[in-house]
This record gives sequence, C-alpha cells and structure tokens, in this order.
Amino acid sequence: MKKFYSNKLAIFFFTLPALLVFSVMVFYPITQVFVKSFYDWNGLGSGTFIGFENYVKLFKDTVFKLSNKNALIFSLFITIFQITLATVFSLVVSDKRTKGRNILRVSYFIPVVLSVTVVCQLWLAILNSDSGLLNQLFKAVGLDYQQNWLSDRNHAIYVIAFVNAWQWMGYQFALMMAGIKAIPNDYYEAAKIDGASSFMAHRKVTIPLLKETYKICLTISLTGGVKAFTEMFIMTKGGPGNATHTLTYLMYKAAFREFRYGYGMASASILVLQCIAIILIINWLFRDKEKKEGK
Amino acid sequence: MSNRKKISFGKAVFALFCWFYAAISIYPVIWLLFYSFKNNSEIFVTNPFGIPTTLHVENYAKAWSQYNVPMYFLNSLIVSVATVVLTIAFALLFSYATSRMRFKGRFIMTIYLSLGMFIPVQAILIPVAKTVNSLGLDTTRWGLILVYTAINLSFATLVYYGSLKGLPVELEEAACIDGANIVTCFLKIIVPLVKPATATLVIYIFLNAWNEFILANVLVVKDELKTLPLGILFLQGAFTTDWGAMGATMVIASLPTILLYVIFSKKVEDAMTIGGAVKG
Repeated sequence: MKKFYSNKLAIFFFTLPALLVFSVMVFYPITQVFVKSFYDWNGLGSGTFIGFENYVKLFKDTVFKLSNKNALIFSLFITIFQITLATVFSLVVSDKRTKGRNILRVSYFIPVVLSVTVVCQLWLAILNSDSGLLNQLFKAVGLDYQQNWLSDRNHAIYVIAFVNAWQWMGYQFALMMAGIKAIPNDYYEAAKIDGASSFMAHRKVTIPLLKETYKICLTISLTGGVKAFTEMFIMTKGGPGNATHTLTYLMYKAAFREFRYGYGMASASILVLQCIAIILIINWLFRDKEKKEGK
Repeated sequence: MSNRKKISFGKAVFALFCWFYAAISIYPVIWLLFYSFKNNSEIFVTNPFGIPTTLHVENYAKAWSQYNVPMYFLNSLIVSVATVVLTIAFALLFSYATSRMRFKGRFIMTIYLSLGMFIPVQAILIPVAKTVNSLGLDTTRWGLILVYTAINLSFATLVYYGSLKGLPVELEEAACIDGANIVTCFLKIIVPLVKPATATLVIYIFLNAWNEFILANVLVVKDELKTLPLGILFLQGAFTTDWGAMGATMVIASLPTILLYVIFSKKVEDAMTIGGAVKG
C-alpha cells in the first residue's frame, strides 16, 4: 500500500497540471502586480524602476480619493440593503407556515443566475430617461418624478449600487437560508417552551447562531465596493465626469485606456491590500466577540 | 385577543412586504421576456408593462440570424464546458495526490494553491492580459479557458480535498491488493465516489464561466471569439434602437442558466452558496 501511494511518477503527473496552470495564470500575475507597481511602464518592454513614485502619485490623485469614497458608499449601501432584506426574507421563507415559499425563494434568487451584462443592460432599459420602465411607471401613476437617473453626479453611485444590490440580494438570502437550515430544531422547541415569541426566538437564537454566515455575507458585500467594476463600465463609463469611478475602474482605465501600466498595477496592489484588510478586520471583529462571550 | 390581532396584523404587513420585494426582484426579468416579443411602438407607447398582445417571434429570428447570436452562444458554450472539464480534472488529480499520497511538500502545495481564494480577479486583470498575450493565447479560446480554469482551481481543490478526506481508504486498499495500479484505482474507484462534489462544482464553475465578463472583456481580442456577455455589450452599442431584438438576444443568453436553475434549483443554490462560504 505504501508503495502504491508513493508512486513518484503518479505524484508528478497528478499535481503538475494544476500547479502549472495556477502558477502561470494566477501566481505569476499577482507577483507582477507588486513588482511592476514600482515601475514606469507603458506595457511594452520592461519599463524603468521608479520606486514609490506611482504610489505617491496615486495618493495625490483626486480620482483615487473619489474612488475610495465611492467604494465606501457602494459597500455600505449594498451591505445594508442586502443583509437587512436577506435576514428578513430568509426568516420568513424558512418558516414552514409561510404560504408560497417556493415562489418567493425563486423570485429572490433568479437575478443571481443572470449575467452581469444582461442585468446592466436590463437596468439601463428600465432607467432610460425617455422610454424606460421606471419613468413610464411614474407617468402612468401621475407622479412628476421622471428624471435622468444616471446623469446626476451625486446620485449615480447610489443607482449603480442599487443595481448591484438588486442582483446579489438573492445570493445572501440563499447563504442565510443554508445557515438557518443548519440550526437544529431543538433550539426552537426549547425557546418555545420558555415562552419566547417567534420574533424573540429569532433575535436570541437564529441571528446569533448565524454568526459565521454573517461573517461571509459581510466579507462579500464590503469587499464588493472595492471590486465594483462591471456596472460602472457598462452603465456610466465611470461618469458623469469621474463621479462613479471605483478603484478597479481607475486601474482598468490607467492600463487599458491610458497605457500607464505601472500606475494601474499600483492601483491593483492597493486593491489587493484593501480586500485583505477588510477580511482581516471582519475576522478580528468576529473573533473578539467570541472571546468576550467565553468570559 | 387584541394581542393576537396585533401579531397577525404585523405578520400580514411582513408578508405583504416580502411579496412586494419579490415583485421588484422578478418583474424586471419578466418585463424583459415580455418586451423581447414586442415591437417598439408597443414597448414605448401602447403597452409598456403588460403581456405582449401579438407575439413578435421575428425578434428572435432576427437576433438569431442577423446578430451573430449563434456564434456568441457557441463560444460561450465551448469556453464554459472546456473550463468545467479542465478544472474538474486538474483539481481532482491534484487533491487526490495531496490527500492520499505520501511525498514531501504536499502541505506547502496545498497552501500554495489555496492562496487563489484571496486574490480578486480584478487585481490580476492587467498582468493576466499581458501573460496571455505574451504566450500567444490571446487569439485563441485557450487564453480564456486556461485563466478561468486557474481562478476556479483553488476552490475546486478545496472541495475535493474535503470530500476525499471523508472517504474511507479500504476500497482503495482492496483494489491495491487485487493488483490494480494507481491510475485504474483513481478512475474506477475515486471518480465515481466523489460524484456529489463533482455535481456541485460543475454547476458552480459552469455558471461562473457562462456569465463571466471582467476577464473576457480584456482577454478576448477577436470578434469571432467573443462570448455572450461581450456580444450583448457589442450589440447594444450597434443596435440601440431595436429593443425587441436586443431583448430577444438577452433572453437567449440567459436561457441556459435560468433553465439550469429551474430544473436543479436547490442544487444550484447549494452550489453557489458553497462557493461563497469557502471564499469568504
């Protein structure tokens, strides 16, 4: 048996394909992000080493500041929107007495399986200022609320965030459904015997036990702002002006539109660091509470 | 009595709210389906919200014959299926080696491959495009397929590793005593045993590959290699005014994933959420 499992040739051929593809297409590129962020590089040749200059420029860039502000707005908007709704809906739908549970479940989840491109085009059609669904709806009910939804500097980012939140709410909903399913029924029986109402039972039993699920949901939605790109790319082109730029959009534009690859790489490395920071902070917050409860 | 009334009133409001949001969630999709069968005057003026009065099937005919939809569809299908096959094969082979076989460095290898979970695809967009270009893969479908495989590997190996660790080794031992070699043992025993994990991964990887946009947007440089998400974007730019046929195009693009969900709904939800849970 030992010989069977230490067949050198088999080990080599079993691990090689995965290691090779991963190294070439993920690991090497990510090292390049950090290395080339210290270079002045137009994408051709190997560029010249300029130390931290790209980072210095980036931190002085007003678009970078705006991108961070947008990431914050975007993240907070989708986090609050998705987590609140997903919590309510998952509690209602997982209750076996709710009528039409399956219709609700499918309705919430359908947008998740659509392509982001389709979702963006669909919402462009809905938000279209001349003949979009939303303005037509306002007209039909006689409300004077028609407007050009994506052309307002201050509001466009919220509209974009809404489209993202609309598509992915069902994802967080499904995560919570899975979390609730894993809670043993005995807990509720015990709460019921103690005379708790279903609201109290959820507050004291379900929600605390969904801690791991909330951790995942928060990680996904809070890093969502930093990583947001497709909605901006398709719906607003980062505009009006620079109003809906995010870090990813800034990076994309620097590299593929302006051919400032080094600058783009610096943005990309900040993007990675921000994502890691968010993950670490969330893990730290959730771990700390565990310890306190232990005391 | 009054207390009970209060509770049932609260419940009714809650239920109403749930159905109200369900409508917001699903109606845009239904609206898309509706207008894909309408002509412009019906979409804009006579009947923007409701069921189409006459089914303008020619929208679909037009999308199919004039908008290159079959080409985009075929590209998406080839790329998605190839990504699924390669990822599954590479991940299962790798996880089998690291979970069963004995050699130095298998722990480091496992950690190394799982690093991918922490790297957002947005971050490697620029260098990946450069790499694919310098390998000469940007004019073939392989560029996209190999990159998709690479970004799915970390998750897939993790799922297989967990599933293999939960399997008893006795079956393999018996096979070994019977004189089977490691390849036969892998194909005849392991592959059938991990079927549930494979089903989950197939759904997860297929959906992600079918809908992927960010990487495709920079990795596909030839028109005839464009996948559906890119095709839709291109068509929207070229045929802004023809809403009906554009709607038909989007319905065709969404049909495979929606059908997959409608047929295997629980399985799809599970597959997608396992993906999120491991990634978080």
